[in-house]
Amino acid sequence: MTETEAIRLFKCLSDKSRLQILKSLVIEDMYVERLAERLGISAPTVSFHLKKLTEAGAVTSYKSQYYMMYSLRKEIFETSILEILQEKSDESEVQAQRDAEYRQKVIDAFFEYGKLKSIPAQKKKERIVLEVIAEAFEFDRIYSEREVNILIADFYDDFCTIRRDMISERLLDRDGTKYWRAQPKCREK
Amino acid sequence: MIDQRVSKFNSYFDRQISLCQQRNKELLEDDRVDEATFEKIKANVYDIFRTILSVAVKTSKNDPEEIRQAFALKAKQIPLNWSISYEKAKQNDDAVKMKIEQIKLDTIHEIKEAFAQIWEGEK
Repeated sequence: MTETEAIRLFKCLSDKSRLQILKSLVIEDMYVERLAERLGISAPTVSFHLKKLTEAGAVTSYKSQYYMMYSLRKEIFETSILEILQEKSDESEVQAQRDAEYRQKVIDAFFEYGKLKSIPAQKKKERIVLEVIAEAFEFDRIYSEREVNILIADFYDDFCTIRRDMISERLLDRDGTKYWRAQPKCREK
Repeated sequence: MIDQRVSKFNSYFDRQISLCQQRNKELLEDDRVDEATFEKIKANVYDIFRTILSVAVKTSKNDPEEIRQAFALKAKQIPLNWSISYEKAKQNDDAVKMKIEQIKLDTIHEIKEAFAQIWEGEK
């Protein structure tokens, strides 16, 4: 378990309702309404906590007939705290993790369910947003301007601005009316 | 009469906000941080509509029908975005966001009921 994963898990566990949900799941797999009845909290509140527990890797779910069943990820709880403390953290790995977390934070702030909410004012953040959109383009494929616009419009209505910024950020290259995804520096021909 | 209704509605908001603050404190003491935050969200909704009421009173020059209309309009307009967010969250199976939007929608529903009761009941 990485440091980030451990912190996320510990943060998630520091809540009485979530601990009680886990205590119930130790006994057997349960569905939302059953947990709600057992713990005396509303079903939407149980779903809220289960979502957080799932994101922290503590719980997993599966479908059984009409119900979505939740179960404890026992292997996570079999890890001892000492094992987590003994885990070596490589500085470059930590830095890469920090970068990834920052990137994710920007993505979470500016995208909602895959749609861009607004273009970030900060250059660094805009670059991250544009990189996400660039992932919709395949390498080694030529796109017409119309195709580029359609792909960008899936993310944001003002596709002209995004298209122009992707060119200036060298995420897309163009030749007249033909566009293609620029190769990242490490993949340069 | 109008002052009586405004002050009754303001007392309702004060009472609800104070209840939320009390529950927030109790939940925090019980180490239920997220559920404590739910109470804060509710209190914020009450606070927003308490402000809307005071603005409606100021701009409507003590005309009860104008106050009713101004308040009802905002109580209809503001939750529209919450409903959209709730539906989006539902489509994306985002239980965290759904819960937060549901709290806001439940609270405004309760405020509308209280408003109808106080405003119509005191006529």
